[in-house]
Amino acid sequence: MPNLARRFRAICSRFAGLLHMDHGNDDFTAELESHVAMDVDDGIRTGLAPDEARRQALIRLGGLEQTRQTFRERRSLPWVEILIRDVRYGLRGLAKNPGFTTVAVLTLALGIGVTSTIFAVADAALLRSWPAAEPERLVRIVANTPQGPDDLFSYPESQDLAAQGKSLEGVLAYSRHSAILHTASESRQLVDEVVSPNYFSLLGTDPKLGPRFLAAAKNHERIVVISNAVWQRFFGADPRLVGKQISLTGRSFTVIGIAPPGFRGLMPFVPVELWLPLTTWGGENDRGSRDFELLGRLRPGVTAAEARAEIDTIGRRMAQDYPALNRGRTVSIVSERQRLREAAAPTLLMMIAVGMVLLICCANVAGLILARSDGRRKEIAMRLALGATRARLIRQLLTESVLLAAGSAALGLLLAVFLFRLQPALMPPSKVALGLDLHLDATLILFTTVSSMLAVLIFGLSPALQATRVDYVAALKRGETGADRSRRRVTLRNALVVVEIALAATLLTASGLVLRSLLASRRIDLGFDRQRDFVFFDMEPNLVAGYTPARTAAFFDEVETRTAALPGVKHAGLAQRVLLSETEGAVSKRVSIPGVQLPQDQPTIPVKFNAVDGNYFQAMGTRILEGRAFAITDSGTALKVAVISRNMANRFWPGGSALGRQIVVDGTACIVVGVAEDAKINGPREDPEPYLYLPFAQWPSNHASLIVDGGADSRALIAAERIVFQSADHNVPYEVRTIGYLMRQSFWSDQTLVGFVGTLGMLAIFLGAIGLYGVIAFIVNRRTREIGIRMAFGAERRNIVQLMLRQGLALAGIGACVGLVASLLTTRFLASVLYGVKPTDPLSFAASAIFVVLVALAACWIPARRAASVDPMQALRVE
Amino acid sequence: MAEKADVWQGTLALMVLRTLETMGPQHGYGLARRIEQTSDQLLALNYGTLYPALLRLEQEGFIRSRWGSSDNNRRAKFYELTEAGHRQGKKAIAEWEQATEILARFLRPAAEA
Repeated sequence: MPNLARRFRAICSRFAGLLHMDHGNDDFTAELESHVAMDVDDGIRTGLAPDEARRQALIRLGGLEQTRQTFRERRSLPWVEILIRDVRYGLRGLAKNPGFTTVAVLTLALGIGVTSTIFAVADAALLRSWPAAEPERLVRIVANTPQGPDDLFSYPESQDLAAQGKSLEGVLAYSRHSAILHTASESRQLVDEVVSPNYFSLLGTDPKLGPRFLAAAKNHERIVVISNAVWQRFFGADPRLVGKQISLTGRSFTVIGIAPPGFRGLMPFVPVELWLPLTTWGGENDRGSRDFELLGRLRPGVTAAEARAEIDTIGRRMAQDYPALNRGRTVSIVSERQRLREAAAPTLLMMIAVGMVLLICCANVAGLILARSDGRRKEIAMRLALGATRARLIRQLLTESVLLAAGSAALGLLLAVFLFRLQPALMPPSKVALGLDLHLDATLILFTTVSSMLAVLIFGLSPALQATRVDYVAALKRGETGADRSRRRVTLRNALVVVEIALAATLLTASGLVLRSLLASRRIDLGFDRQRDFVFFDMEPNLVAGYTPARTAAFFDEVETRTAALPGVKHAGLAQRVLLSETEGAVSKRVSIPGVQLPQDQPTIPVKFNAVDGNYFQAMGTRILEGRAFAITDSGTALKVAVISRNMANRFWPGGSALGRQIVVDGTACIVVGVAEDAKINGPREDPEPYLYLPFAQWPSNHASLIVDGGADSRALIAAERIVFQSADHNVPYEVRTIGYLMRQSFWSDQTLVGFVGTLGMLAIFLGAIGLYGVIAFIVNRRTREIGIRMAFGAERRNIVQLMLRQGLALAGIGACVGLVASLLTTRFLASVLYGVKPTDPLSFAASAIFVVLVALAACWIPARRAASVDPMQALRVE
Repeated sequence: MAEKADVWQGTLALMVLRTLETMGPQHGYGLARRIEQTSDQLLALNYGTLYPALLRLEQEGFIRSRWGSSDNNRRAKFYELTEAGHRQGKKAIAEWEQATEILARFLRPAAEA
């Protein structure tokens, strides 16, 4: 339609007119001048006097100013002009009040930032489209046994289900493992999924990848699909990588494809980097080895109930056919989407919680705006009286709120991105990368925009309506309006402030408790010298073909000897496992002790153990209390010996010496040659328990950790160690951990708790302070006249400050008391995570209360000072 | 003095297009005078109202303007039709003729109908 095109062209031209406003106006002024001049010329020619000619010319024109006005309106877009004027006015108003603007923007930005962050988490964990086509048809196949629910199946079982289940299009099996990727420069542990050949085709992630993987896997080819992230990070996104060989845990695999970007496997929190077909992995024919999780895809049109009935029948048949494996085991399905949704329920709860935080932020900002617009009541009344419409004024006030919200949204997004960056630090330390794929994307920006505009409605609309609902005659006369109505509102806001402060007091008390608990657990004696700059090298020759026990021992020996000779290395020792490793330390040996009655008359008890070499105790700094450490003479052929922990010695030989006594470890008799101090095996907070050290030479292991104390520069040590490993055997994969990593891992939950509760506490007290400030500022504005009168009657500034502070402190005091009572009731739920501090720790309670009151004092101080600076003459003259 | 008719909404643009068509490039004052003359002084034209109409035509791309000098050597802004303006003029005339034709049928004395 050409007409539309014309109109569009005209609008564009009018927008352009906006930009060149001044130039266009000058141009038109010149045109009008020339118009009038020509008219005057003609008039003079017909015999008029110049003045009269000009007068008539102007009459014919219809007035210079009117013409200019109609021209201007046509030239650009009047409403845009008004908008621009409102925006300018708003910006000017905000700039004139930097304190208000800063506090309001910060408050909103905090609320919006936190909400957006949690939204991004929820989005990544649950809302973002799941990496499969038609995910609503995917079901998880689960089993129930008399012992409880069980999600694992063997591959033959999955094939039975696929073959007999007519309601299912197919069944895919997957199992999570980890593999070591060797590149030219490094070896890196990555999470992999060992999957059935139909994995990609059944998920429908990529139309080309699925069939290619299926065909190659069925041919038993040694293939791998790598994640987009690995492709970028380790192979520089090399487009020719597909078809090439890469080395995984010492074996070579052909890269058959790159997973689509964003495909991170089937668990939201554990990103998978490699997919290997189970046909090259082995064990796929053993009905008993239940390693796989199963997902099925419903045929189109089949309901979950129909499929569940059929799967149940197949399960019963399996129980009949394989009674040894399947007796009492029933099989069913659950909707995978629903399962994921339920798993992400905590995120939704958090979403609600941060929604509340945003609401509180909005309420606070509404309070601030109200306190401020109260001061502008006169101006507003004047403008209404002069003929401005209420809608016009509301629009103007709302423009200001929108500006606030826009600034806060931008700042909030920055905060969210900053928090995304923190994610790796917040995740538990782990050898593989954990965490969600969080980034700034269009969805997040849209969410932030929408939520901040909704926030405008909440914090901006009500003050704007209230500020313009003025009986302006009364307002101009008395400077007072609707006192009764607003008193109720003040009470509501007071209650809100009390709640905010109570919440802050509770959270701060909890922060104090968890902080004291963290400090206490930091002081725990770990049973080794934590001040040393340890680096641990976890070596796994067992993953490389051809490593016989003799060769493994020689390899360990060579590495340890070379390491000890490195410059700067103070100690080097060897152990099967490292202390404080949450899982690795849990392996135990069956021990019996001749001549000692074991609990409940059992023949043996399990005792956790470690196989260590002669340098271990010295390297770790674990003290030998009695007897000796292991020596080079405690070889495989020599007399079997053991070192036991003090706890074990005290428990079985109380009052006497354990040295020289015999214990039987897994049927082998050993002589106790030393007693070592108790060390923390799995976690810093555990109670001492019997622990057993055995000589590595006598109890060899196919994997071990090299413990090195190499001085402050651990990076240099790691670099030097790389050369040691390369010359010993570059095929042996190893992982590096530092003492810092170990400590972070051990104290992660404590530290995270402190950070989490502390952040919440600070957020709450900040919001409480803003709320309190808003209320007091509002009161000060309302009572300006009263203050003036008081001062006129001789009240001193000090009295006025006290008067205002008393109001604020009353609110804060009530809030703090409520908060402390709430703390008394709730902190006992923290008892299980606290160490070395009681849930009713008076210091934490007192500190929290004092802090809350001090912050409240500071928040009231600013408006109170303003109240005291009221000039009584001016305040009264306002009458 | 006979009572002058106001300029009907929307007809001013047509008058401008038509005048530019017959006269060639012309400045605002000249256009106003010419329109007044053509109407035999029957039309009460506020010269000022011409300018928003000109601006609108320019925004829609039917005319373009440039500064030049008038017969009396005064600097003035001259307007001329664009290609689209020529077409629009023809189209508008056709539409207008049709409209007057229809109206004329209604306005004929009832006996003739």
